[in-house]
Amino acid sequence: MKSSLGEFEELVLLTVASQHDTAYGVSIKESLEKELGKTLNISAIHVTLKRMTDKGYVNPRFGGITQDRGGRRKKYYVITAFGKQMLDKQFEIRNSLYQKIPNISFN
Amino acid sequence: MNHHPPRRAIQFLRWFCKEDFVEEIEGNLLEIYELRLDQKPKWSSIWFFWQVLLHFRPDFIKPNPIMDFFSSGLFKHHLLISYRSFLRNKRSFFINWIGLASGLTCVLLIYLWVADEWKYDRFHLQNDQLYRVLQNRTTSSGIKTRELTPILLAPALKEEVAGIEEAVAVSSPEESPRGVLKSEDKSIISQGIFASSAFFQLFNFPLINGTTEQVLQRKEGIVISRSLAENLFSSVSNVVGRTIEWNNQLFSVTGVFKDVTKYSSLQFEFVMTTARMVELDEYAGKWNGDYARTYIQLNKPDHTGKIEQTISPFLSNNEANRERSKLILQNYSDQYLYGQFEEGVQSGGRIAYVRLFTITALFILLIACFNFMNLSTAQAGLKMKEIGVKKTMGAQKKTLIGQFLIESLLMSFLSLILAIGLILIFVPYFNEITGKSVGLRDISLINVLAIIGIVGMTGLLAGSYPAFYLSRFQPKAVLSGDWSSATGGAWMRKGLVVLQFSLSVLFMVGVFVINGQLNYIQNKHLGFDRENVIQINRARYKGDYQTFLQEIKEVPGVLSVANMATPILAGGSGQSGYSWRGQEEDKKFLFKSPIISYNVIETLDMELLAGRAFSAEQGDDEQQVVINEAARQMMGLEDPIGMQIDYGDDTREIIGVVNDFHYGSIHLSVEPLIFRFYPRGSRAIVRLQAGKEKETLAALEEAYKEHHPPYPFNYRFLDEEYQRLHESETRVARLSTYFTGLAILISTLGILGLAMFMVEQKSKEIGVRKVLGASEWNIIQLMGSTFTGLIIFGVIIALPLSYWGAQRWLSQFAFHMDLQWWLFLLAALITIGIATLAIVIQIWKAVQLSPAACLRDE
Repeated sequence: MKSSLGEFEELVLLTVASQHDTAYGVSIKESLEKELGKTLNISAIHVTLKRMTDKGYVNPRFGGITQDRGGRRKKYYVITAFGKQMLDKQFEIRNSLYQKIPNISFN
Repeated sequence: MNHHPPRRAIQFLRWFCKEDFVEEIEGNLLEIYELRLDQKPKWSSIWFFWQVLLHFRPDFIKPNPIMDFFSSGLFKHHLLISYRSFLRNKRSFFINWIGLASGLTCVLLIYLWVADEWKYDRFHLQNDQLYRVLQNRTTSSGIKTRELTPILLAPALKEEVAGIEEAVAVSSPEESPRGVLKSEDKSIISQGIFASSAFFQLFNFPLINGTTEQVLQRKEGIVISRSLAENLFSSVSNVVGRTIEWNNQLFSVTGVFKDVTKYSSLQFEFVMTTARMVELDEYAGKWNGDYARTYIQLNKPDHTGKIEQTISPFLSNNEANRERSKLILQNYSDQYLYGQFEEGVQSGGRIAYVRLFTITALFILLIACFNFMNLSTAQAGLKMKEIGVKKTMGAQKKTLIGQFLIESLLMSFLSLILAIGLILIFVPYFNEITGKSVGLRDISLINVLAIIGIVGMTGLLAGSYPAFYLSRFQPKAVLSGDWSSATGGAWMRKGLVVLQFSLSVLFMVGVFVINGQLNYIQNKHLGFDRENVIQINRARYKGDYQTFLQEIKEVPGVLSVANMATPILAGGSGQSGYSWRGQEEDKKFLFKSPIISYNVIETLDMELLAGRAFSAEQGDDEQQVVINEAARQMMGLEDPIGMQIDYGDDTREIIGVVNDFHYGSIHLSVEPLIFRFYPRGSRAIVRLQAGKEKETLAALEEAYKEHHPPYPFNYRFLDEEYQRLHESETRVARLSTYFTGLAILISTLGILGLAMFMVEQKSKEIGVRKVLGASEWNIIQLMGSTFTGLIIFGVIIALPLSYWGAQRWLSQFAFHMDLQWWLFLLAALITIGIATLAIVIQIWKAVQLSPAACLRDE
């Protein structure tokens, strides 16, 4: 599969990376909503996580059984080396493009 | 915790979702569900459902055969193969496409029409509790059902019968108010009804102004339609309380209702109270006059039988003269489609046409499907190698079936696209013929699903036989060239061709009979001369009517003038209560009794058998009557002139006998009739001189306007009125002509395809025969006879069936044409002729080829 990283995927991947080892669906949703200032649908996060798992950017692992959530386990996501590499590459591209912007004055 | 998320939603999630994700999704959903519950608990179940539904996508759905199939390469492969086979057999593709598309067009148009028919009278809120009360009367000629009852019936029923929630009286069509309504500065001709006070509570005619309980409380109140309000007052908002003049009386507007939809059998533009009606006509408020239609609402719909029993003798209990009357109930919404009664029992009506057309549509679709099957199985030879190879490579039978079904589904969806295009083109014509205004915009979501269903079914139906038939072949037999074991199924093709042409003949005979009967109706001598007679409906006015009549008599081009109280073609106005000397005791007879004035019999050119017509010179007045021949025979009188008959406490003298004539629609038989006399009837009939109608009408209009300002001149030709009485037959005749054309077209297309195919297959045989010296004619005879034989066989099967059907249809008319043998022969010859021509042309083209062209490959 061609490796690619969409805009929303990148946002989710960044959140997963920042919440290292404690990122799961609801936590990602809430932190992204705070950052972006708009409400997101949990289904969109689920789909993105699933696709990034398939592409090998993140690895899921199950947490232990607790009393919360009616005994249902949380599924935590951890960024993989490959995922981190994708983020770095993306960051570099953006950065180098950004550096090329001449000083523009908007008056 | 009190608030559980909906269990069904979770069940649904667990049902469709892949195992790996269920726990995660379910847990996360629960967590945010509870978070949300703290903030805004409203709609949380629906919200949860929606969240679950958002996960219903291929990412999370469990593996299943349907998704597998559509995402597999096999599906793409099937599409590609279908596309290639369409390209390879362009001609049969087009035949199939056009055939199926016209079949579908037909089905969809009829579907729109039928759906429209079913909409009538079904918009009322308590639809299943609404009934109309009808009156069954036993007469000497059987039980007659009429919709009219006394005004007093509705309140009495409500009061005395338990289980009746509400009852409403609505004035009969003849007694309903019509004429000019005047506001301060405008006047408009309008048609209304009288209705009792609960009218707007019982029926769903929404009010814009006023409340349903209040608007019909005051005697001088009038409720008007929105468009009437706009026309009279140029506004809808502040019309309540304003004054309207009708018939020299003042009314005050109490409410405004939305214009009545065309789907209502009750049509009116304003409503006045029945209290007012009784004031205008004192007889209206008595038990012995049938002035109203009575509608009731039951408490529960399933009590019908019991209530019908209770109210059955209601009229005879209340009125001495009514011992032969029984009341029955009919569902309010049935009145449109099931309007006919025979011997007091519901016997059909428009539903007959609904059924007829539904069956026609199905047959036409069937014919188109047969084409598809025939052509596909006929082409089996072409596909056999493909199938053989596929099977050898390991294709399963169900894969092959899938391929053919996909091909036929694809075909039918392509046809649907063409059909929708055709409908867009033809819908205006269709509406013109049917008098409806349907269109694709009437198609609701449910209709869309139904149409996709129809199309899918068509595809499956058309594709199923070839699919199962073709996938059955043994690969060894096919690939080793052993065709004989594989080319079976010819009997099936033959059977379908026979059926197609049977149906075509059936349709054609139908068209001939319907048109023949219409022709018969239009040319039938009615017993009076309806050509060049106009009927003028007079607005109510103060001046002397006789002066006006005298004046128009002088207009050049006017041959004769008379006036009457009942329209000549109405056919209603039954009245019993006549008795005469020598009559058998306790027998009461129902007579038609139109009310006419001087000179009517002469103007309509009726034939006098004895005595005289009403004459001013002889001083005839209300004391005299004229009877028709049927009445004379029924009364058993040899020489009735001068005889006295009793009418209630009065006596009437018979002064003349006219020959029988048709009163009303030709569905009705000629019944005993008594002409009553009344000099001031408000309908003038005028006989015009042929050829000068235009000038005469202009002059009449001038005279009318002089006497009736500001009313417009309203007239109708009697022969046009007569045609209007038979409108539904006219519409059916035109529609069925088109449908039959279509059926024959599709059948012929099918046989054309088969012939083309056969000629292609046998081109070598033709070549060899020609080389050996067969003449062109020989070859045509040889090849054509297979098909012609089938067609003739189909026609022969259809003839007795069509005879039986035609007999049944005609028997509903009291007067109908005779079925002629040549009519059937003609239908048979046309069908055989068209089909044979198509076949012969195909073969002829093949025969013209040089034998070298088809023999050189080997």
